[in-house]
Amino acid sequence: MSHEKDKLTAEAKTIQIGVRKKSRRDFIKEVMKMPGGEKILECIQCGSCAGGCPTMFAMDYSPMQIIKMINLGMKEKVLSSSTIWVCSACYTCATRCPRNVNFPTLMMSLRNKTIRENLVKDCAKSDFHKYFFEVVNKYGRFHEPELLVKFLDMTNFDSLLHNARLGLRLFKRGKLQLRAPKIETSWVCSILEKTDQKESQ
Amino acid sequence: MKYAFYPGCSSHSTEKEYEDSTKAICKVLDIELVEVPDWNCCGAIDAVYSFKPLYSIALAARNLAITKKMQMDMVTPCSACYFTLNRTNKILREDAGTKSKVNEALANIGFNYNGSVRVWHLADILLSDIVLQKIKEKVKIQLTNLNVASYYGCYLVRPPKICNFDDPEHPTRLDNLVETIGASKVDYYGKTRCCGALLGITDEELALKMSKDILLSAKNSGANCLATACPVCHFNLDARQKDIESRFDIKINLPVLHFTQLVGLAFGIEPKQLGLQRNCVSPRKIYPLTMTSVS
Repeated sequence: MSHEKDKLTAEAKTIQIGVRKKSRRDFIKEVMKMPGGEKILECIQCGSCAGGCPTMFAMDYSPMQIIKMINLGMKEKVLSSSTIWVCSACYTCATRCPRNVNFPTLMMSLRNKTIRENLVKDCAKSDFHKYFFEVVNKYGRFHEPELLVKFLDMTNFDSLLHNARLGLRLFKRGKLQLRAPKIETSWVCSILEKTDQKESQ
Repeated sequence: MKYAFYPGCSSHSTEKEYEDSTKAICKVLDIELVEVPDWNCCGAIDAVYSFKPLYSIALAARNLAITKKMQMDMVTPCSACYFTLNRTNKILREDAGTKSKVNEALANIGFNYNGSVRVWHLADILLSDIVLQKIKEKVKIQLTNLNVASYYGCYLVRPPKICNFDDPEHPTRLDNLVETIGASKVDYYGKTRCCGALLGITDEELALKMSKDILLSAKNSGANCLATACPVCHFNLDARQKDIESRFDIKINLPVLHFTQLVGLAFGIEPKQLGLQRNCVSPRKIYPLTMTSVS
């Protein structure tokens, strides 16, 4: 019963904020179904999220702006913003939000959407998720050196030198585990196969 | 006390000293840690979740399903794993649709899981009243020369619905531990600020700045060492400290220790056994006086 009521208020709010175009309305509805997007229409634009965000200086739109833009159905701008990739998922905003908007989880869901729909502009950041997945899928556990090597920019001498220094420092302290982790990984593929089927449903 | 121990990938490889020091102090405190057999990556917060959400939930659920068979509570020293595993529990308890999908995948490898295993952070175990009392009794060397800034970071206290170790805005429990081992606590601005976590790989510039703010605020508040409770935070604050210094042209030189290493020092355990020689910023200058003469 209360679920029905929630749905109605949500619909009413959608009309209230003047979003009449179908494509825009569809985007809002889609986001509301994602993990983290359930409460976006409740946002009162108080700015608690933006005030506490430790990475806001590197974002093109603040968390509060992104929520407003979603509520206005601005799909392209939201999905191409740097905000969704810069969020470090520290959950300061979600902890302080008086309306319980789960912003970091929503950012993860939006990343997933941009990756699935091939809308990624900044490849380095989305590649991280892909590589991380590949490494875990190969060994069952995370193996740092393999991921870091994939991220090396062979054309940039400064960055190579910088990473070599970090690597050397870790190596000297015995922190660089070059040997890959070994666990029983045959199960990994079977989980992947099953979840992949389900994910596309 | 007996717990299923889930070290997590970082504490098992790059930050091996965290696992070593954890085992060393748990031995003194009679806490038995049984490693979860054939454990796998938990999915690391958003790393796998952003790429394949259902797969990442299934990865975490597999660890929990193994622990369920062990019939023990799980304890992990890693805050990121603590968050990820507890989030998985919450999703599986509340979202019936996801639960059935994940269980179908798990059934493929002979497991079934419904979100019933309790996951603790190591700090939660060590700071329970009984264990804290025991720590007090076992302290051999009072670390009175230390001003410790305890760093909570994100996932020990946030989001409070998943990680409820302490108050999310002004946590104080690690400070209690610091005082128990005879050191002084330092109150500073950065104790719950984010260190940058996995941004260290994708956007190093950004992560360096975030870590710099934490280190400087601790140092300016009079700390002579910083205690962390998460291997990812430790990597950003300790291993990257040299990079921060050269990038921003400043001198920090603040030793960053895992909180278990500090407790170990107070117990009089050999620094080598606690893996202190592996810390990138040398902690030698903060060793208790009786120890510096030994090593």
